[in-house]
Amino acid sequence: MAVEIPTELEDLPTSKPHWIGREVKRVEDPSLVTGRTEFIDDVVLPRMLHCAILRSPFAHARISKIDTREAEALPGVLAVVTGEDALRWSYPAVTAPEGWGTHCIATDKARYVGEPVAAVAATSRYVAEDAIELITVDYEPLQAVADPFEAMKEGSPLVIEEKGSNVMLQRTFTWGDVDEAFAAADHVFSEKFRWNRVGANPTETFGAICEWDPMDLNLTVRGSIQSASNFGLGRVATFGLPSNRVNIISYAHGGSFGGKGGTRGTDVACLLSRKAGGRPVKWIEDRMEYLTAGGSQAWDRHYEASIAVRADGVVTGLRVKLVNDIGATGEGFGAINTAKPLAAFTGPYTIAVAQYDLTLTASNKLPESPCRGMGPPPHFFVLEQMMDIAARALDVDPAEFRRRNFIRADQFPYTIPSGNEYDSGSYEEVLDKALELAGYAELRRQQAEALEQGRLLGIGVASAIEPGVFDLNVYSVVGMQGTGVPEGATVSIDILGMVTVRVGFTLEGQGQYTLVSQIIADYFGVEMDSVRIAPLDTRSAPPSFGPGGSRLGVAITGAVLGACERIREKMAIVTAGLMQTEPANIELMDGRFRVKGVPGAEMTVAEVAGTMLARSDLLPPGIDPRPEATHVWTAPGRAPVDEEGRTKSYLTAAQAVHVVLVEIDRETGQVEILKYCLCDDCGTRLNPATVEGQTDGSVVQGIGAALLEEYAYDDEAQPLSTTFMEYLLPTINDVPLIEKVAVVTPSPFAPLGAKGCGEGAMHTTPAAVMCAVNDALAQLGTRATEVPAAPHRVWKLIREANEKPQGA
Amino acid sequence: MTMARQVRMTVNGAACEGLAEPRTTLADFLRGELELTGTHVGCEHGVCGVCTVLLDGRAIRSCLMLAVQADGADVTTVEGLAEPDGKLHPIQEAFVEEHGLQCGYCTPGFLMAICELLESNPSPSDEEIKDVLGGQICRCTGYQSILRSVHSAAAKLGGGRSATGA
Repeated sequence: MAVEIPTELEDLPTSKPHWIGREVKRVEDPSLVTGRTEFIDDVVLPRMLHCAILRSPFAHARISKIDTREAEALPGVLAVVTGEDALRWSYPAVTAPEGWGTHCIATDKARYVGEPVAAVAATSRYVAEDAIELITVDYEPLQAVADPFEAMKEGSPLVIEEKGSNVMLQRTFTWGDVDEAFAAADHVFSEKFRWNRVGANPTETFGAICEWDPMDLNLTVRGSIQSASNFGLGRVATFGLPSNRVNIISYAHGGSFGGKGGTRGTDVACLLSRKAGGRPVKWIEDRMEYLTAGGSQAWDRHYEASIAVRADGVVTGLRVKLVNDIGATGEGFGAINTAKPLAAFTGPYTIAVAQYDLTLTASNKLPESPCRGMGPPPHFFVLEQMMDIAARALDVDPAEFRRRNFIRADQFPYTIPSGNEYDSGSYEEVLDKALELAGYAELRRQQAEALEQGRLLGIGVASAIEPGVFDLNVYSVVGMQGTGVPEGATVSIDILGMVTVRVGFTLEGQGQYTLVSQIIADYFGVEMDSVRIAPLDTRSAPPSFGPGGSRLGVAITGAVLGACERIREKMAIVTAGLMQTEPANIELMDGRFRVKGVPGAEMTVAEVAGTMLARSDLLPPGIDPRPEATHVWTAPGRAPVDEEGRTKSYLTAAQAVHVVLVEIDRETGQVEILKYCLCDDCGTRLNPATVEGQTDGSVVQGIGAALLEEYAYDDEAQPLSTTFMEYLLPTINDVPLIEKVAVVTPSPFAPLGAKGCGEGAMHTTPAAVMCAVNDALAQLGTRATEVPAAPHRVWKLIREANEKPQGA
Repeated sequence: MTMARQVRMTVNGAACEGLAEPRTTLADFLRGELELTGTHVGCEHGVCGVCTVLLDGRAIRSCLMLAVQADGADVTTVEGLAEPDGKLHPIQEAFVEEHGLQCGYCTPGFLMAICELLESNPSPSDEEIKDVLGGQICRCTGYQSILRSVHSAAAKLGGGRSATGA
């Protein structure tokens, strides 16, 4: 049965939406603000043990001997595992690119600081920590590789010897006649950039409780798991189990931002559970484990970029060369961060041809993971700096320069050179509103005035695309497979008209339960309070990916609406039978099934549901009597990539313009944000408060990435950011008031016209802040090309600029 | 490993006791021994403030204090804020109304820090709020809605009502 998913609010069976589009209170919150929501570390199971992991202090070292006898003898210790157990009971991790995985515990050598070497299950975490101190390991340190250019050299130490090279992937994508565009250009501008490792850092680290049932060969993992079904498939592969013998139970998580990871620790805890005879083993990653060895790090990038520009300021070509240090293995799927830029390679601009030269290398650093934005944020940082370099050289205002290159409103749907299709947009309107909100002309006046006083102010105007509703298809260029990402929901109406929605994901912070409640309430004309959400484990849930890639708001809207439509069709048949008419004469409106044109001939949804479940004598023969339906939604019109990696990948393309005013302290190099304004367009805003919350949070993560956050390593690949004293998260003192305004251009293709918006400003903020920093530094004739623009870097640039002879 | 000893404290108005080794943190004691899991742990090195509770009226980081050090103290955790019938504390109400949370993991710590703030300063300025909340990390909200929540809570509590409900 084909189901039409409404793409407009007007298509809903309500004379006026009461809940969708309104700023409603979140149904998740009462439980969260009282501390009642159950997170994984709150869970205690009978006979549960606690895990501690012994980790390598060396970035690269052969393990010659491990002695665990003393640890095993410690009272309270039930199991100890080493690489031998991993070899015996598990397979190397599934990776992207394929074939770059190792076992969850080092079997022959350690490949990064923090790699598990042994682990203990004991009656308490304290005892487990005592026990790992009693394990002695003989290491033979090897030369480590911490730099991708060193890693690619002949004779470099090999991270995974069997591969014969540290190059994980090298590929050049060419879209159009790039050579011709650059040859014909009036101007060509080139620059190199460095984006240092940053990461997600949710306030809750990862945790899991693993239970290996030795009799039935079932594995149950409870945990702070972002995408339960994918996580389950990973365990199926690691342990060689039939897929219906792995069950994943996801708990509410304290944020994720793509950085929950946790697969190694989970697999270690699974081995321990097996060795301890099937007792559940809890592993809670501590913060230092998270920072050094968790799903914490992403985007270790070296860029070279060039743009071809016509004399009239139209950009005609873009070349980007990226070398990304993925770390020791491909297990964290960090590589997919480098594929996502294909979904928005040329940003909001009409740049007709482009080239992407991509190299992924292995090193003795932590394997990279996803992170909010999934890769385009550094790409847009580069693209937007190039736009400003060109604008400055041509003496065109940066806002005007962008306007000249924007995709126009009448050009949508618009296919970009790298193959993705943007659904809709109103880029100039967004720009105008952002400039108006910021008082752009006045800011420029302030800047000039400040310069006369010797103060260094800079204004950034940047625009970026947020690809929404990811598809696996584009990730095939780095070794993932699949087209379409299903998300399912089962909607059930009970005998008294109350509604339960069963889903395959759980709380992560974006307010998805609230969104589901809003949709049901408007669709069936009930109160939001009449709706309950039941998150299911992977064994029971409909197909689900869960949150990620700015998809879930749109995808779950599609799934819930699809299920509602199916119920409506079924109930219309029942109602028609009772009213002695044809189903085509029955319509649902404001919670009532009514006979068209016959006032008063109507039944409430609850009455129809009650009839279906309690009066079989009144039902049409052969009808399925459940007031229930499941719908599995996936984005329409997706296809595998072509030979150059091109495809329609992300369903929606939200867009934003940010205007930022910064001041740089000439003495310290400190960057202060004085004003932050933005306008964004993510289509229909299903719950405006939630959208704003996502925007605010992602602006601040973007500020962190631009100015504060960095996973530093020394030359021997020793991590230097191992606590929150070195990895600096933005605090309330680091953030300005964020002034926001919105344009709404509904997506013609997405359910209710909503575009993905969860990753949000992370795409635009680092670019915008760095444009502002460089606008200030341009006054000194210098430029910051390395992120984060931390004080020591900016101070050095200022000093070097001051030392340069005038006019040079 | 040293012997566990009996530790007594008043928690959310009730006399509580439990066993703690000298090295057991107050956070672990509250969460494990007393089963008050509303207090969360974020970094265990005193930076993020997720584990903040009130100890004798002062906001402290329960990951940096040992349970034995809190012997005899009066502790308030997030479980002590709402009424037993489920009526939210005004600070909690403000957080719900102003969308002061997303994932909610850091929220109990924020609430306790704000309790102390509003107790000593019933109508704080933005700067005074930032001065206190600079020690609390939230990765979701960008702090914008938290700032609004504090102002809203201050207004709700206006008229002399104590922030801790005492």
